[in-house]
Amino acid sequence: MTRHPTPLRRGSKYAVITGIALGSMLLAGCAGTASTGASSGSTSSAAGSAPVSNGAAQVKVTLSGNDCAMDFASAPAGPVTFEITNSDAAGLSEVELMSDKRILGERENIVAGLKASSFTVTLTGGTYQLNCPGATTENTDFTVIGDATSAPSDVQSLLAEGTVGYGQYVEGQAASLVDAVAALDTAIQAGDVDAAKSAYAAARPFYERIEPVAESFADLDPEVDARVADVDPGTEWTGFHPIEKDIFDTGTITDSTKALSTKLVTDIAQLQTLTTGLTYKPEELANGASGLLEEVQSSKITGEEEAYSHIDLVDFVANVEGSEQAFEYLKPALTTIDPDLTASISAQFASVDALLATYKDAAAPGGYKLYDEALRTSDAPKLTQAIQALQAPLAQISEKVATA
Amino acid sequence: MARRDKNPDGTPSGDARYERPGAAEGVPSGDSGISRRAFFGGAVASAAAGAAIGVTTTGLAAQASEGAQSASSAPADDTYAFYGEHQAGIRTPPQDHLVFMVFDVTTTSASELQVMLAKWSAAIAQYTQGLAVGAVEPARELAVPGDTGEAAGMGANQLTVTVGFAPSMFDGRFGWAKYKPAVLNDLPAFASDALTAEFTGGDICVQACASDPQVAYHAIRNLARMARTTASTRWTVQGFGRASRSADQATPRNLMGFKDGTRNIVTDDDFAQQVWVGADSDQPWMTGGSYLVARKIHMLIETWDTDYIGDQHAVFGRTKMEGAPLSGTAEFDTPDFAVKGADGTPVIPATSHVALAAHENNGGTKILRRGYNFTDGIDSVGRLDAGLMFISYQRDPAQFVAIQQKLGSMDRLNEYIRHVGSGVFAVPPGLAAAGDYYGKALFA
Repeated sequence: MTRHPTPLRRGSKYAVITGIALGSMLLAGCAGTASTGASSGSTSSAAGSAPVSNGAAQVKVTLSGNDCAMDFASAPAGPVTFEITNSDAAGLSEVELMSDKRILGERENIVAGLKASSFTVTLTGGTYQLNCPGATTENTDFTVIGDATSAPSDVQSLLAEGTVGYGQYVEGQAASLVDAVAALDTAIQAGDVDAAKSAYAAARPFYERIEPVAESFADLDPEVDARVADVDPGTEWTGFHPIEKDIFDTGTITDSTKALSTKLVTDIAQLQTLTTGLTYKPEELANGASGLLEEVQSSKITGEEEAYSHIDLVDFVANVEGSEQAFEYLKPALTTIDPDLTASISAQFASVDALLATYKDAAAPGGYKLYDEALRTSDAPKLTQAIQALQAPLAQISEKVATA
Repeated sequence: MARRDKNPDGTPSGDARYERPGAAEGVPSGDSGISRRAFFGGAVASAAAGAAIGVTTTGLAAQASEGAQSASSAPADDTYAFYGEHQAGIRTPPQDHLVFMVFDVTTTSASELQVMLAKWSAAIAQYTQGLAVGAVEPARELAVPGDTGEAAGMGANQLTVTVGFAPSMFDGRFGWAKYKPAVLNDLPAFASDALTAEFTGGDICVQACASDPQVAYHAIRNLARMARTTASTRWTVQGFGRASRSADQATPRNLMGFKDGTRNIVTDDDFAQQVWVGADSDQPWMTGGSYLVARKIHMLIETWDTDYIGDQHAVFGRTKMEGAPLSGTAEFDTPDFAVKGADGTPVIPATSHVALAAHENNGGTKILRRGYNFTDGIDSVGRLDAGLMFISYQRDPAQFVAIQQKLGSMDRLNEYIRHVGSGVFAVPPGLAAAGDYYGKALFA
């Protein structure tokens, strides 16, 4: 969906690539200004190197008052375990080990009164920073002595694999969308309203699963997915939704419907061209996953998206599936970066999936119950709570994969 | 609620703080030929959502700027101690604003609940001292702000946050069954109850009170956010004017125009005997705690406003302006329920609110009232939706039950009020120091 269609300027492959490059520069620029230069901290760290036991150097980190202190500010190269205790720091609950701007390991929810928490990272020689957001001294240098050879980061290669995999997923959805829209067009050109209804419901999920990617083509998305309220006066309303109105509301296929369908086939073909060969950054997957859940809350739970067909739950499920796919491609790396958060998100996806499964209805178009006013009134709060519980942790992963 | 003196000079406009970003942020960059919008953000959708939020929070922002103007009466950086024998927000002199929120615990994991309560405890310790938890504007581009920011720079504004557990918390989900106080049970049905599901029940209540509504709302909102994966919001009431008094405060008025809280509990003895749970409780973890009863009471304001003053006096058993019992002449005169008029009936009618609720007529039972006036707009049948968010504290919910059983069946006020929401909560004692947290003893 798009609320404010922008003037149409045909995108090109060249423009797309430029857009990505700009995105990278923007990101680099911002990271540059957000200087977290190591401070002189480490006031309460002992001299010398952390003792090694159980095969790892042991460093104790204590959160107290507004301070974050290590018992040793140095360790030999190899596995290093940071054990974090919060004795009485109400404002502090997170510790991360960073190399330059990259997060190598971290723990959250280290709250006063609860048990100590630890994480282990394998470090090569060099200077790292222990970061305690909110502490008087947020960054303290941590020195690792020994072998300085840097092995390629597993996390980086896992993330790279994930983004390639997600690109293939998007291409697959786009290809299926081309086929599904062709089937819709066949039904419409034949004037078959019933066939058009089921073809419409069959086509929508392919678009909704990759909606953040489709929406990133700001010229094309309004042509394909605008709702009537989104269209500026004097601008033609095109795409899925005027077709939806004709076949579900009016119940007649006219020459205008057929023309709309022909244009939709063309626009979707262009979408396929634009998405073929696209590359993604890990944070784009993360933001896309979260953005899909934002879509669910802003237009699906309200029943605005499919105002005539009421197949909002079909779109809802597709948004969640698209979100889950993006998350799954990041998961191998995320599991290394933050296993607790990853497990929490997996559990929330499982509970949303289980909730959505209760709405399955094989007889309904698209396979899910019609989202009529009665169902919305009775179930929308429950659906909102479930999606919010998923989006809260999911919104945290973008920063983690971007800085990994 | 005209108690505040607005400062006519130097009225700082709060508007700039609440400006929403324009819708322009989703527009692709001009003539560069770049048609691919920045992937992160879903900017168009969020701009539209932002606009909608802007509309709904206008009222709150307006009240907040009023709060800023009255800073002279309640300095923005006034704080109440968080740690102590009892939770703040009970004996604390009632602040002007309330946000009351009831949560359902959605997790089935005791350890997740434990983490949530520990995080809440640490966060409340910060908020009540005017401090944030997490950055409003993190240094890293892709970091999600830890604090939502709307209270940044506003000070603590006397914020207190008080937490309580409903009977449902002791149903065995979290291993708490053995810690259930014998006196903690769902309230019985009362005559003339008109409870609605949307304002009744829930697992955990949080009462945030402050001299500024935005500061109170910020605390509740951020606690809700912190709990997103473990607890969901069930019902909430925003109170805009205190309807009770402590020892050193003037008696405020409820929306019926009558003084409320004249005979409220104020002495140490009464607090010890009527409010705080003593060491004799069957559950030692409740020693120093109290029990909170919440009742959302809708007032039928329009019909009340057509009632003649003599009848209004008879309904309350007090005069309207002075608040004197009908047996006396001044607000703090002790009501004399024996005095009869010329017709031989009591001057204070036996079915008046003051006669039915008075401790003299209830075996000495008193409750600490700490209610707030509220308005929720217009109700479904076109009436002003307003009334009293009644909150009382007592060492045993039976104190409230006994009084309400009489009021519910006989109170003349019932013609003009409807109890539409309800809850009862065990409010644990205050936290000792950092590292202590709500319910800590229950996870043993």
